Amino acid sequence: MADLLNQVANGTLLGLLYALIALGFAVVYRASKVFNMAQGEFVVLGGFIVWWLASDLELPLIAVVPLALIGAGIVGFAIERTFFARMVGESAFSMVMVTIALLILIRGVILVAWGPEIRPFPIVFPLQPLVVGDVLVPRSLLYGGAISIATCLGLSWFFSRTRLGLALTAVSQDHQVALSLGISVRHAMMFAWVLGSVISAVGAIIYLSGKSLNFLASDIGFAALPVALLAGLESVAGLLIGGVLVGIAQALAQQYLDPVVGANVASLVPSLFILLVLFFRPTGLFGWKTIERV
Amino acid sequence: MRQLPSGVFASTYLQDAALIRTGKQWLALGVLLAAVALVPIVLGPRYANIGNNMFILAVVVTGLQLTLGYAGQVNLAQAAFMGVGAFTAASLANHWALPFIVILPAAGLAAALFGLLFGLAAVRIKGFYMALTTITAQFVFHFAVINLPASWFGAANGLKVPPAQLFGLSFSSDVGLYYLNGVVAAGMIAFALGIARSRFGRAFVAVRDDDVAAGMVGINVVQIKALAFMVGTFYAGVGGALWAYYIRFVGAEQFTLFNSIWMIAMLIVGGMGSIVGGLFGVVVIAGLQELVTSLGPQLAELAPELGGQIVFASMNVLLGLLIALFLILEPKGLMHRWQLIKFSLRIWPFPH
Repeated sequence: MADLLNQVANGTLLGLLYALIALGFAVVYRASKVFNMAQGEFVVLGGFIVWWLASDLELPLIAVVPLALIGAGIVGFAIERTFFARMVGESAFSMVMVTIALLILIRGVILVAWGPEIRPFPIVFPLQPLVVGDVLVPRSLLYGGAISIATCLGLSWFFSRTRLGLALTAVSQDHQVALSLGISVRHAMMFAWVLGSVISAVGAIIYLSGKSLNFLASDIGFAALPVALLAGLESVAGLLIGGVLVGIAQALAQQYLDPVVGANVASLVPSLFILLVLFFRPTGLFGWKTIERV
Repeated sequence: MRQLPSGVFASTYLQDAALIRTGKQWLALGVLLAAVALVPIVLGPRYANIGNNMFILAVVVTGLQLTLGYAGQVNLAQAAFMGVGAFTAASLANHWALPFIVILPAAGLAAALFGLLFGLAAVRIKGFYMALTTITAQFVFHFAVINLPASWFGAANGLKVPPAQLFGLSFSSDVGLYYLNGVVAAGMIAFALGIARSRFGRAFVAVRDDDVAAGMVGINVVQIKALAFMVGTFYAGVGGALWAYYIRFVGAEQFTLFNSIWMIAMLIVGGMGSIVGGLFGVVVIAGLQELVTSLGPQLAELAPELGGQIVFASMNVLLGLLIALFLILEPKGLMHRWQLIKFSLRIWPFPH
C-alpha cells in the first residue's frame, strides 16, 4: 500500500513536471500554430544558461534564476526574429520543419559551446526529500509541481480572460483573420517564443536541480510530448490533468509491470497511451475540435 | 508536370507515355550511369563506400519522398522502419540462411507491415498529430529490439550479418557491394518513378493537396493513405536490408530519431514532391557529411577541447543552418532551382 501511495505521489509530481515542459509546446502552438520540435533543446539550453551563470560566473543562486530566465527570453526572442518572423504566412509544415532545423542547430551549438561532458547542475531546491507518513517525495519535484500548477492556471486565465491572451488565441486560429482584426501576428509570435523559452528554462531548473547536465537531457522534450498530445495542444489547464495521468500511468507501470515483463516497459507507456487516445479521440482530451477527419 | 523543350511531339501513345522522351535525355542518363559505374574504378574504394552510403540512403529517402512528398503523410520515423528491415534481414539471414534475393523483399514487407500499423493511425488522425504518432514507432522499434529475446534480434548486442550471396557471387568487398547496391537502388528508383506516374501516384498527390476533394472524385482516401505508408516503409525496409548487408552488423543505435530527421532534411534540401529532387538532397547532404567528416582532423585542431565530438557538433550547426536557410529562401528545394535554370537555358536569350 505504501508502495502504491509512493508511486502515485511521485508519478503525479513527475507528471506535473512533464506538464510544465509540455506547456512550452502549448504556448508556442497557441500563438503561432507551430509545433516546436526543438522544445527539448530549449530545455537543455535553459539548463546550460543556468549552469554557466552559476558555475562559470559563480553568481549567487538568487541572481542566477532571474538572469537565466531573462537570458532564455532573449534566446527565444532572437530565434523568433531570425527564423520565424520571416515566415509569417508560410505553411505550418515549413514552420515545423524550421523547428526541426533548430533542433539540429541548437544541439550543435550546445556541443560546440559546452562540449559533451556531463556537468553537475547547481542545487536550486534542497536535496533531502520530504517525508509524509510512508510517502517520500523529492523537494524539487514538489516545488516544481506547485510552480507548474500555478503557471498552467495562470496562463490558462491569461489566454482566456485577458486582451493580449485572447489576441494570441485569435492568431492561433487564423493568421489572416487575426491580421484583418488589427492583431499583430508578429508581436504575438514574438511573445509566444519568448514565453515558451522562459517556461522551458523554468522546466530545466526544476528537472535538473541537483542532477547532472549534458546535451542528452533534451530527451525530456520527447517524454513530455505525449502529455501535450493527450491534453490537446490548445488546452493549457488540461496539461495538468494530462500530465498527472501520464505520470501516474508511468509510475505504476514501473512498479507493477516492469518486474513481470523484466524490461523497461514504463518508458514506453506514455507513447502507447497516447496512441490509444489518439485512435479514439484525435483531438486529445481537451483540444479544440478543429482537426479534420477523413 | 514535366516540361519538355518545344518541338518534341509524340506520334504514338507509347512515345507519349515514355519516361525518357528525347535522344539528349537518353544521352544524359547514359553518361550519368556510366559515370556512376566508373566511380570505384577511377576513384577507388573510399569513394565506393561513400557511394554505398548514398545508394542506401537514396532508396530510403525515395520511400520517404513517396509518403511525405507525394502523399503528404508526415513520417518522422523512417529510420525506425529502415531498422525493422535491417533487423528482419539480419535475423532471416542468421536463422534460416535465406538467400539475399528472398531476404530483400521480405525485409521490405516486414517494414511495410510495421508501417501499416502506423499508417492506420493516419486514417483517424491528420497533420501534426499524425507526425507525432509516428515518433511512437521509433520508441516501439527501439524498445522491441532491445527487449525481445536475444536469439531473435540480438537484443542490446545487435546481430552480425553474413555477406550477401547472389548468382553464386559473394558480395563482401565495398566495390562489389557498390554495384549490388547501385543496381538495387536504380531499380527501386525506376519503380518509384513508375509509382509516381501511375494511378496511385496521382491519387497520392490528390490526397496530399486536399483529401476531402480527393474523396469526392472517387479516390478511396483511407486505402491510399495506408498504401502511401506501406510503400514508403517498404522502401525503408529494403534500404535497411541493404544497410545490414553493407555494414554486416545491425544494432538498435544505428536507427535513431535523429537519422529520420536527417532524411527529412534531405527531402527539404532536394525538393518535396519529386523523386529526383530527393536524390539531389541525398547527394548534397550525404556529400556534406562526408566533407565535414574528412575535414574532422583540421576542425579538431581548431577546438581541441572537443575532441572527436567536433565533427558531430559542427555537422549539426552546418546542417541546421542549411535546412533553415532552404526553408526561408528556397522552400521548394534544389529541384525547383534546377528546373528554373533548365527552363531559362532553353529559352535563352529570351527572358520569357
